[in-house]
Amino acid sequence: MSAPLAGLRVLDMGWVMVGPVSGRYLADLGADVVKLESARRVDPLRTLGPFKDGKPGLERSISYHNLNAGKRSITVDLKDPRGREAILRLVDWADVVIESFSPGVLETLQLDYPRLAARNPRIIMVSTSLLGQTGPHARGTAGVGTMGAAMSGASLLLGWPGHAPCGTYGPWTDSVAPRFIVPSVLAALHRRRSTGEGCHIDVAQAEAGIQFLSPAWYQYAANGTVPQRRGHAGSPLKAPEGIFRCAGQDRWIAIDASAGGAWRRFRTTVGGGLLDGAFDTLIGRLRGREALERMIGQWTAPQDAAAVEQLLQAAGVPAHVVSSASDLAADPDLTEGHYRRIDDPVVGEAVIEGPRFRLARTPTCETRRGPRIGEHTQAVLRDICGYDDAAIAAMQEAGILR
Amino acid sequence: MLSDVRVIELSAPPTMMAGRILADLGADVIVVEPPGGARGRRLEPFLDDQPGLERSLTWQALNRGKRAITLDLDQDDGRALLADLGRGAALVLEADASVPMRFPETVVRCRITPFLSTGAKADYAASDLIVMAASGVPGITGHPDRPPLFYPVPQSIMEAGAEAAIAALAALWARDNDGLGQAIEVSARLAAMMSALSVPIVVPAGNPGLQRAPARQKLAGVSLPGMFACQDGYVLISFAFGPAFGPMTQRLMQWAVEQGCLEARFGTLDWPTAPQQAEKGSLTAADVQAVVDGIAALAARHTKAEFGASARRLGLLAAPLMDMRDIDVSPQYRERGLWSAPVALGPQGPAVADPARFAQFSNYTIDVKRPAPRLSQHTLEVLDKDLGLSPLEIQALFVHGII
Repeated sequence: MSAPLAGLRVLDMGWVMVGPVSGRYLADLGADVVKLESARRVDPLRTLGPFKDGKPGLERSISYHNLNAGKRSITVDLKDPRGREAILRLVDWADVVIESFSPGVLETLQLDYPRLAARNPRIIMVSTSLLGQTGPHARGTAGVGTMGAAMSGASLLLGWPGHAPCGTYGPWTDSVAPRFIVPSVLAALHRRRSTGEGCHIDVAQAEAGIQFLSPAWYQYAANGTVPQRRGHAGSPLKAPEGIFRCAGQDRWIAIDASAGGAWRRFRTTVGGGLLDGAFDTLIGRLRGREALERMIGQWTAPQDAAAVEQLLQAAGVPAHVVSSASDLAADPDLTEGHYRRIDDPVVGEAVIEGPRFRLARTPTCETRRGPRIGEHTQAVLRDICGYDDAAIAAMQEAGILR
Repeated sequence: MLSDVRVIELSAPPTMMAGRILADLGADVIVVEPPGGARGRRLEPFLDDQPGLERSLTWQALNRGKRAITLDLDQDDGRALLADLGRGAALVLEADASVPMRFPETVVRCRITPFLSTGAKADYAASDLIVMAASGVPGITGHPDRPPLFYPVPQSIMEAGAEAAIAALAALWARDNDGLGQAIEVSARLAAMMSALSVPIVVPAGNPGLQRAPARQKLAGVSLPGMFACQDGYVLISFAFGPAFGPMTQRLMQWAVEQGCLEARFGTLDWPTAPQQAEKGSLTAADVQAVVDGIAALAARHTKAEFGASARRLGLLAAPLMDMRDIDVSPQYRERGLWSAPVALGPQGPAVADPARFAQFSNYTIDVKRPAPRLSQHTLEVLDKDLGLSPLEIQALFVHGII
């Protein structure tokens, strides 16, 4: 059985992360995704690591492969009328267009939604930017997902009371926004099947971030409490729940043994002071939290984090190492079920991530490498846009295909 | 857009976001809970900090727009009624222990598990803390000399639920083609790893591991902070170089010079190539430290709102760190139309605006059709109208604790 979206056609004009990740979902699901690039204004993701074996190079970014796996790449100059016409021919072909230019740029290029819809009324076009296309602050706000995280309320929630906030790890909304873009596109495709209608979908990445924090919004809106960073892992309503230091540098185990059954199994496994009758009840554990956590910390401190994870899980206690980059690379859950080997002419063999779900009847595509810059320009112009060899050569000559 | 799609959500914390996205996109989502209430109703925080099955704000936030019925799936009648309901459904969402029953082959059945069900950790006991620990995100979030940081809002249920919405809708497209459903599995751990960005591929690409640090970037050996204190909070200011983002740093420096926070020579320095200048030694550690101090002084002179306005006017890689109050009063979110009409939190509770409109469509509006359902609110309606049970039969189900 073929992949679920086999036959779907996508023009991916995004760069860096949000647009390309959305496009990768569609590519994994079987769509034919053509990514527009430029050799003059290179996708910054190609300049960001990690690079294979730490050696930089525009074709060596494993992040690029990870977010653009299975796509074709073309380089066409949008500022030239002939380049613009080539893109419009791709719009004729496509079901979905994704773009992440700064708001207003596509208007200047005369490639905005009204023009694309005039050409292909069935097109489903996604525009994504930090604050969206509308509103008083939309224009002029351009940048990266760390800014989206700041404006969604996430950055302020990470850190310790009394200290400056630490912020999210990296451009957090870049990972969140595609989760709202792709369902919106798929819902619009479902509707188009019966009504024939296309549409324009405008996703503000900061607003996507707010969705993942909606309980914090409700806390403010209903209770008037502005949620603050609290540092401590785990809930004040659970004990024991949190992270504990293990042997070695920066090694931690997360343990959630607050619920009755998990607690009984945990205390039997650890023994010692945890057997104290004061800890029989949840209320006793909450009141004695400090002593309880100190004893657990003394028990974990000399032990190997992975060994604690295995010991506790064997006893049925929710526990996991606080995974580092090295832990992820060696984790059997991932090495067996998530990482995929790709073979690329430039970097050789490399490892990227696979899809995060399994569809039993219409499986996702085998994970492929990402394209080299402009690798498919000729083929796409010929096979999709309908140019003959002479026309392509003329465009090449005129410097439009870089 | 999904008005012809019925979704049955066997409620568990990780299904809630999936059902919410589908409801927001127009689907008829029916939440099925045990007679004692779904686990999601016991998730903090609570309205006025008082517990109660109708008072979980996390439940309210993630179940708006849905209907809810109770069914005891441990009893034959409960499972039979669910099977009847399943005949009219396109999608079934579930998590953790799969309900041991069959649905017609036209149903897409999407199940969220903590770890891969076929992998080495398939039998692991898990919770939000455990899945997040395994995601790689906390390990890299925070300071190297302090413990890893976790979000104070559960994130694995958001990541897994949104991921499930994607998989379910892809399977719906396949079903639209040939009328057949299928089984889907979503791993919450894999979904949550998305927010670890490139961390999972760093070591397999032949690089050393990463250390936890708030600002990983250095210039001439000097750490470049990302957060700066301003008059009423904090602002994020990124120092970026290279042709794409370097000009934004250039404009920041020029502005700092104009504001008298920085020596004039730093305004004319070519910032896109700063790393190369540092490598050659023409940009020294003392220079970079002076720049960091100057930017700190610049931030200290402004409020969050002032700094945000300047960042927009000048095109800077900078933004205010907003809290929920800032988001509430932001003219951007308000005028753009992020908020739905107010949603009532229970019969006696207040009505609050919901940031429901995660996307603006040219010909569809996300709106909250109804607030999150009270326990068993729609049981009668569904059993009567959808399944055609008589009043006597419905009372009998209640007497036997099935609803």
